[in-house]
Order: sequence, then C-alpha cells, then structure tokens
Amino acid sequence: MVQFYLEGDRISEFVAHLMKQKPVYAPHRKGQKSFSFEKTENAEDVVLDYVRTMHSIKKYFLPPREELLHFDLTKNESDPVEIPMSEAVFLGVHSYDLAAVGRLDYNFTVGSPEKNYLTRRQNAIFIGVSFEPDKFHFSGSVGIRPEDSTGCDIFLTKLFDGYVLEILTDKGQELMEGLNLPAHDAGKPATGHFHQHIFVPQAKLSEVMEHSYDNPVWEETAGKCVGCGTCNLVCPTCYCFNVEENVDITATKGSRERHWDGCMLREFSEVAGGEVFRETLAARQRHRIFRKFKYISDQTGQPWCVGCGRCTTYCTAGISIVSIVNRLIGDYERAAVAPV
Amino acid sequence: MADKPRVAIFDFTGCEGCELNQLNFEDQLLDILAHVDIVEWREAMDGQVDEYDIAFVEGSLSTPDCINRINEIRRKTKVLVALGACAVQGGVNGMKNTRPIDEVRQEVYGDDKYLFPTLPALALSSVVKVDYNVRGCPMTQIEFLKVFTSLVMGKEPIEPDHSVCVDCKLKENECVYEKGMICLGPVTRAGCDAHCPSFGQYCTGCRGLVSHPNLKGMEEILVEHGLSVDEAWKRLELYNANELEGVRP
Amino acid sequence: MNLSELKTPAELEDLYHPVMAEIKEVKRLSAMETYYRVELPGGEDLGHMPGQFVELSIFGVGEAPFSISSSPTLKGSFELGVRRAGMLTDVLLRQQPGTKIGIRGPFGNGIDVEKFKGKDVLIIAGGIGLVPMRSMINYVIDNRDQFGKLIICYGSKSDQDLLFTDELAQWEKDPAIDYHVTVDQGSDSWQGNTGVITTLIPGLDLDLANTVCCICGPPVMYRFALLSLKSKGFADENIYMSLERRMKCGVGKCGHCQINHSYVCQDGPVYHYPDIKSMQEAL
Repeated sequence: MVQFYLEGDRISEFVAHLMKQKPVYAPHRKGQKSFSFEKTENAEDVVLDYVRTMHSIKKYFLPPREELLHFDLTKNESDPVEIPMSEAVFLGVHSYDLAAVGRLDYNFTVGSPEKNYLTRRQNAIFIGVSFEPDKFHFSGSVGIRPEDSTGCDIFLTKLFDGYVLEILTDKGQELMEGLNLPAHDAGKPATGHFHQHIFVPQAKLSEVMEHSYDNPVWEETAGKCVGCGTCNLVCPTCYCFNVEENVDITATKGSRERHWDGCMLREFSEVAGGEVFRETLAARQRHRIFRKFKYISDQTGQPWCVGCGRCTTYCTAGISIVSIVNRLIGDYERAAVAPV
Repeated sequence: MADKPRVAIFDFTGCEGCELNQLNFEDQLLDILAHVDIVEWREAMDGQVDEYDIAFVEGSLSTPDCINRINEIRRKTKVLVALGACAVQGGVNGMKNTRPIDEVRQEVYGDDKYLFPTLPALALSSVVKVDYNVRGCPMTQIEFLKVFTSLVMGKEPIEPDHSVCVDCKLKENECVYEKGMICLGPVTRAGCDAHCPSFGQYCTGCRGLVSHPNLKGMEEILVEHGLSVDEAWKRLELYNANELEGVRP
Repeated sequence: MNLSELKTPAELEDLYHPVMAEIKEVKRLSAMETYYRVELPGGEDLGHMPGQFVELSIFGVGEAPFSISSSPTLKGSFELGVRRAGMLTDVLLRQQPGTKIGIRGPFGNGIDVEKFKGKDVLIIAGGIGLVPMRSMINYVIDNRDQFGKLIICYGSKSDQDLLFTDELAQWEKDPAIDYHVTVDQGSDSWQGNTGVITTLIPGLDLDLANTVCCICGPPVMYRFALLSLKSKGFADENIYMSLERRMKCGVGKCGHCQINHSYVCQDGPVYHYPDIKSMQEAL
C-alpha cells in the first residue's frame, strides 16, 4: 500500500482535483454548530475535521423524500421515475457511516433487491477520514475504529497538520492520477479514545437482549421520551419508510412519494381501522433497541448500531442508547450471579 | 365534476390572518377557484346564501352569538373545515380560559363589561361536529391545499399525527435547541413542513399537540433547557390552553 | 454483501410500480364489506396461494394491503373482500366495473398447503378473517381428494355482517363439510348459534392426530381461540394463524409490519404457531 502526505494547505487543491472529475459530496458547516453532507460547490467549504453530521450519507442512497412514480389522474396512468445513477465521490466519510452503508446494502439486497437504492448506491466512491471521538461516539464498542478504512477507495488519517492519504483501490488510484503528493514514510498516528463504551460484544448482547424483554428500563425511558421520532430519523442504519400520495392543486396529476419513517412514532404500527400494534412508548423504545442489537443481529451476527451517537446527540430528552444497553447488561449480569 | 362544490368562508374570534392567508395563494388561487364556487365570504364579497357544500371556518367561539352562528353554519353545510389554530384548538384566545372569566372581562372592557357577554374561547369542535382541520397560526397553506384537493377529489384528508421534529429532520434543519432556543416541535403536530425551524425560529406549538403527547416528558425537556415549571406550562398553553385544562399538575 | 454479485440495478424490477388491473365485478357483501373481482392485463393468473395478499392502489388516493379471497383454482381473475376502513376503501367503494386499479403482488408466504394435505382441515375465521380463509376453503373444496374432512368455524358480530352468504349456505348443505357458524348478537330472525366464536370449538368432533387448523380473525380472537383448541387437546404444531399488520411495501423493506424480528409481509402473514409462540408482539 502506498501512503502519501496531504499537507493541510493542499486540501482545497485535493478537493478541487476531485471536483474536476466527479461531483463531490462532503461535510460542510451548517447553521451555528452543525455539519451536513452537501454537494461541494467551493473546494474551500469542505470541512474534513468535523464531529458528526445530522444525517449520514444514507440520504444520497435512500433520500429523505423520494418519488416512486408519477401519475396522471385524467388517464389513470403512471410513469416510473427516472433514478439518477450516482457517479459521485463521497469525501470525508467516517468509518461508522460507511459501516452503516454496509448494513443498508444488506437490507436493500436481502429478499427483493431494491432498484431505487441500488441504482443510487452502485457507483459510489468513498474517501474516508479518521475522526476524533466526542462524548457521544461509541463505535469502538461495535467494532468500528476511527481509523477503520473498510469499504473506502481512499482513506485519510489526520495528522497534526494535514492527512496521511492511502490509496486502497483501483478506483482510488484513478481519482488520484494527476495530483502529485509526496510519499509518507512515517507511521500513522494513533487515533483518540472513546469516552463511551458498551461493555460486551454483540455475541453476548444478543443473549442480554433475550432476557431484557420485560426490563423496567423500557418504562423508565418511556417516562422521558416524547416519541418525537428524532432518534430514528438521524440513525444511519434506520431505513423504514412510509408512502403517501401527492396530488397537485389541479387534481389531475401527482406522485407517489416515500419518506423516512420511524418505529418510535405511534402511527407507524397503526392499521386501517385504528388498531396500533405498538401502542406504548416503552414497547416502541424496546423495538428500537432490539432492532439495533437483536432482531437483524441474530440473523447476521452484526449489531445494526454503528456507534455514531446521533440518536443520543439529538435527543432533546437526553436519552442515551449506551446507558440503556449498559443498564440491560448490568441487570442481566446481576440476575445471573444472584442466588436462586 | 358536473356541479362545482359551493364553498362558504366564515370568521369568528380571531385575527382573520387565516382568511388573508387564503387570499395570499398567489400561484394557486386561480386553480382553487377553478374547482369551486365561492358563494359566501364576508372578507372578499357581499351577500349570504342558504346552503353550501363546504364551509371553511376561522376563529374561536367566544360569545353566545358565536354559538348560534356556528350552529347555523353547521346546519347549512355538508362539510365543515376548521381553519387555523383558533378554530381548531381555541388558539391563543384560549389563554384567557386559564383565568377567571370575570377578571378577564373587567380587564378588557372595564366598567362597560356588562355590555359585552363573553364565554371562554372555544374550539369549533367543542360546539359542533368538525369534519376536517387545517391547523396552524396562521393556517398552514400547504395543509390547506392538501385538504382542499382531497375534498375536491372526494377523499378524506389525512391528518398527520407525528411531531414537527419528523418534518424538521427530513429537511436536516439544524435543531433549534442546538442554538439555545426552546422549541415545542417534539410534541407539536406536523404538517407545516417545519416552517418556523426551517427559518431558524423555534416552534411555538401553533398546530396543536400530537394525539398522545407525553406532557410530563415535555415538561422535563423544557425545564432541562432552562425554563421554570410554570414557564414550561405557559409555553405549552399558548396554543393549547383548552386541551391542557386540568392536565397541568 | 457484495454488491457486484447482484444484477445491475437497471435489470432489477421496479418493486413499487403496480400493474393496472380491471375491476370486473362489484358486489355488496354487508354494510361494511364489498366484494371485488379483479382481472390482470390479458386475464393473466395472479399465481397466488391461499393466505397471500396484494397491494391495491388508486392513484392520488393511496395503497394498502388486501387479502386475496379467491382460491388459486379460480382462473382468469381473483377476488377481494374489502372492509370499509379509511380513505382508500372509501374511494374504492365508489369504483364501478371497468375501473382500473393498481395491483402489486401477490405477497407474503401464504398457507403451506402441503402441510394440510392428507389431513382434516379446520378453519377458524372471525369477521373479515373469512376473506383470506375463503381462499383456503375453496382450495380444499376444489381439491377434495387431497384433503380429509373440512371443518369450518365462522363467527361474526351479527347475522347482518355475515359475508359470502350464498357460499355459506352451500357449505352448510354440503355433507362433506362440517360447517358451524355463530354470531355475537343475532337479530330477531336469527335462528343459529349466538356467542363468540370460541363457543363453537368444544363441540367439534375432531380427529386430533390428523387435523391441521388455520385461524384468522380480529386481534383479540387469537388468544381465546388458542385456549379453546388447547383445552380440546389440539397440538401446537397443528396450528397455523394468519396475522394482520401494516404491510405497507409488501417486499420486506419499509418496516411497518414487523413483529419482533419477523416481517409479516415476508415470513407471514401465515405463521406456524410454534414459530410465533415466543414472539411477544405476535398475539
């Protein structure tokens, strides 16, 4: 593997080099304190040294809102919507977000592969970047390190000034043609430590969850939770959606549109006639956590949580996924050693 | 459609901002008018008629005369749509309900208070059957168009029952709590496409509460972010005084 | 998952695009339920099994799952029995023969009829649970030699709400069918059984070792039906049940129909009881 040194003041040049070849989506500043992935218009606007974006790059493969078909009510006919192929570079992706894309790949290929997702996903090129864990990141606990370059075509590791740039695939090599960077012979610096941890690995978590169905933590969490759905909507591995019809004011044409949905919302499990199959917030919290650490995980062996910390960061009620899981582990272990 | 539905528009106690908002449909006004005949609208035309298919009604009910009029409108119309926060929940007018009615009369009308009979500000639905709601203060234009189009197509409009946070997250708005503001989005009914947070403002809760709000949880959030318990409930009551009557611990 | 092993996306079918099928026949079944016979383009068979469902849509109105009521032995078209329960079904109610509607499917696993072959078949249907069970009932009737005795228990709110009354009368007359019906509340003219559906079960004459059961009804019914079957000595492994959830996409993607780890639109709607006994959200 060849390593190069991308000096701090050549980052814009590097971004511009990518932009000449393909559209580049990268983290930008947003609002007062936030970051979001945006299509890069000015190389200087890219922020590689960011904490986390509200949405992961999931939004490019499974857009928050997406038209599934257009219809003409006067003819009672519909047309499929053209799905644009994404020949694009996703720059500055953290390891947990790329791991999340891997989880989504599974969801959208298992059973019936979905054209919409896969068309957008197929030709994506990823340039990862290492990150410094903040107080909410815990991806190390689910096996995803800040310097993990799995799935990347190019990976950047933060140095004091600039980045170590590794080319990992042919696609990555192609992208770099024409940009001369000095070789980097020295080693890579160690990345920072996580401040939050889940104390057991997935194999054990599955067992913990098995015994946690009636844990009081669900009721306790439900006391604080207002069911707003934010934790679902910011999660990079949540993929649930709802479908609605949009009709324009002439009542002659419109579209069938899907948009992100979430299992924390009461309407989510409601059927025609009004029956709600997950009525309590406690049952919905349990479902959310089990979807991350039990249900799909039992089938795949992997946690469906990537430790990005978004659900906790953006929860106005301060509900922490790590605290809930560690509480379940603690209760399970105490029960296991308790005298009969 | 052979005959266009006959539409009538009425106002009760309110600022008439919702009706103005109807006139503000610059791009769609002609399309709207193409579907219906407007047969009665005090703010834009003269005259009265005996019956209509759809009545859009703005404002809360706050005098004995209001009660008579809304009953009459209900008798004359097939479908009644409440327009805006005052009509749907009682709106900001409902704040007066949190105080003794005599005290309010005294404060507003002084010694002439006996000339002005007044009631607590009521949502239309507390007096007559309301078929559909267009929420918001002023009423949400995109929701009006959805409800209107549904009625024209002869289908029941869907009333959203999830939080404003959902719409806000779909747009990836920076959370206004991040900016140190206090927002009622987590328990407020969506449908406005998170209009205020999208312009950097907090949600005041004008569209009313979701159907099963965790109010204790919301109180904790507000207190955690710097309000006193009393301030927290006053925030919630701004648009929801009727619904929260007797709920506050 | 290696994406390169997949077909290129361009070759994949569009999971969400419906085919336009024609409503051929509309009949009122009761105050709340309506029958539709629907034909796919060119009279093509739907290719379903009893217990499966379709996603039916009307442009501009919406899409929802509906159980298929006809047996696969009916060729050239398929049948639905639709309860009025919201916007889509309200609009559907106004549609006349000749109207085209969107159809996706069939979806779900359906009843594994192989497990019922050579056995007595007990059907327990409550309310509109009869709609999908009718598919199985007619499948058994049309393949008599492959099955043992057919036993039907059908319960309804009132005699006014009984569905497919012409067929009920035939089943009652058919000496090869052990048919039982009850209503929660009968009108003055009702002369049959009164009481909830579980009151029918104790009196059944069953060959327990050789009977397989399928249950479909409102959510509250399952637990009580199970209790009655168990006290009768029915073994868990002979029980199947069809569950209702919000199957929005039908293809295991949207998440709405999940019961614990299971997608109803993929693993269900028909479940083998031993498989869902430990699923807390199922019953």
